[in-house]
Amino acid sequence: MTKALESAVDSASAAVLARYDELAALLATMGDRPRCDPDLSAVATAALLHEARLLDAGRFEEWLGGWTDDAVLWVPLSAPAHPGRDQSLLLDDRRRLAERVEWRRDPAAWGQQPPSLTARVVGGVEAWPAPGGGLVARSSLLIEEHRHGRRQQLAGYQVHELVGDDLRRRTKILVVAALGTGVRNPSFLL
Amino acid sequence: MTASDFDHLVQPHRVHRRLYTDPQIFSTEMTRVFAASWCYVGHESEIPEAGDYRTTTLGLRPVLMTRGRDGAVNVLLNRCAHRGTVVAGEARGCAKRFVCPYHGWTYTPEGRLVAIPFPADHPAEDYAKLSLGRLEAASYRGFVFATLNAAPEPLEVWLGEAREALDTIIDRHPGGELAPMGSPQLLEFAGNWKLSWDNAADGLHATFAHHSYNTLGEMVDTETVLARDPGSTPMVSKALRNGHMVVDQRPGIPQGPWATMRNVPFREPLESRLAAAGDGDLLDLATGSMLNLSLFPNLIFVGNQLLVVEPVAVDRTRLQLWLTSAPGAPDEIDLLRLRVDEDFVNFGTPDDLDMFERVQRGLGVPEMEWIDMSRGLPDSAGDAEAGTVSGPITSEAPQRRYLAHYARLMNNPAATRAR
Ligand code: FES
Ligand SMILES: [Fe+2]
Repeated sequence: MTKALESAVDSASAAVLARYDELAALLATMGDRPRCDPDLSAVATAALLHEARLLDAGRFEEWLGGWTDDAVLWVPLSAPAHPGRDQSLLLDDRRRLAERVEWRRDPAAWGQQPPSLTARVVGGVEAWPAPGGGLVARSSLLIEEHRHGRRQQLAGYQVHELVGDDLRRRTKILVVAALGTGVRNPSFLL
Repeated sequence: MTASDFDHLVQPHRVHRRLYTDPQIFSTEMTRVFAASWCYVGHESEIPEAGDYRTTTLGLRPVLMTRGRDGAVNVLLNRCAHRGTVVAGEARGCAKRFVCPYHGWTYTPEGRLVAIPFPADHPAEDYAKLSLGRLEAASYRGFVFATLNAAPEPLEVWLGEAREALDTIIDRHPGGELAPMGSPQLLEFAGNWKLSWDNAADGLHATFAHHSYNTLGEMVDTETVLARDPGSTPMVSKALRNGHMVVDQRPGIPQGPWATMRNVPFREPLESRLAAAGDGDLLDLATGSMLNLSLFPNLIFVGNQLLVVEPVAVDRTRLQLWLTSAPGAPDEIDLLRLRVDEDFVNFGTPDDLDMFERVQRGLGVPEMEWIDMSRGLPDSAGDAEAGTVSGPITSEAPQRRYLAHYARLMNNPAATRAR
């Protein structure tokens, strides 16, 4: 392997770690943020409610279209956490997000066939300008899920990084307390 | 429950639904199966320093694993000798002393009572009698097991032939080092704990229950480990003594485990880095051993997971999913393991959870009493005598054999006691 190739390999793997560190830091510093920007929060609210509406309606393809190419959806088991050191429920890049949508459409994906009926309540949206443009938002989330005649209610919060004029999702972190204490089949979580 | 009940409920080719639905059988199991067997309670690497502890359950009993000042591992009943309060409330931590939150009785990490506030009524000689209850504990290469059996066989004897598989799983890690990461994912299902046991060595269900996992593989021309024809694959399943089971998938994947994996997130840069460092042959370490081992009644090795089966109620079970790391391998291996592990947990485990709940609902039908477990009969006589049976992965021999062991435990209760 040439020197040039070697350093390209090194920087590619360093980029993975850098993205992981960025995710961990975003989550860890959420509580220290100052009061939110009310105008930006209103903008973020519209985007988050739209996302919740798409997910509850099972419009996963449209939802998939709202992500950037370097997207990450991360669902840690608790907070704080690091995606390179702690077990997570999932950490999806764009490729796996696309697989997940395919999986949700597979009639033999028994974990979601029949699919969960969900109702998401998004509230307490706070947003701040993000350093690279766009915004970072934190919101509370309550999901009620019905499946096989049973229901479970999961509470938590979500952190979004939304970029560009159309506020595409570059990062979403979903923190659900029950993942560390006992949850039933969480495969409806997105 | 009498000595012969389980000869009726567990027959060579079928078992009765009551095993999965009867609350009285469940509560009997918590003593005759869980308290009387060696159960996995944790890994030594989780409690490296004196005073480190972690809590879990053993047959519904709250249990505390501690590292003592002498470096030895103690497994204690997490139950105050005064009025019974659970003493340590956290999942893990470090404590020089365990102080009961109710009235302040204070114990050492070895479980010895050292202080009673307002002690006037307690003569000094009482202290020795009022320790935390102890379990018999033993570790095998870092894996800590404990039992309340009054006269248990030595751990290594109990492991028996399963030791070889356990060694294989440990030894594939550089330096024989393997450690559960941080804290587990906790998944619950509305079903009896034995459903996860029936499933652990079930080589046939992958074709049907995990159809969608195999479809994801096909979409990118990857033949997942579960996509092999169960009727012709050279994979083998084995029923070992004491209810232990093995599914050896390695003979069915000649290109090695890594070739069965789809592109998990961030795979390519990490894979290239390993290859550039000349460590490309270590990539198989990023997947599981492909040797699934189940140590009856509560520990299942699958992928790089330690799956700990925690019964909660006759129709409710909690699975602790511990991801193991390979501390002696290059960092890229654990970074890949994290994403590889999520793959099956997200696209395979939900199938299993759904099947467990469907079975539990089906077993609620009183008019249909029996569960058929005859596939692959007859087991060859020579094998059966030695206590082990091996066969194709379509055979239900592992289920039959672990349930036969279970019936022996239920028919002939061993005495249990706290030390
Ligand atoms: S119950 Fe523990 S001190 Fe009273
Ligand atoms: Fe399975």
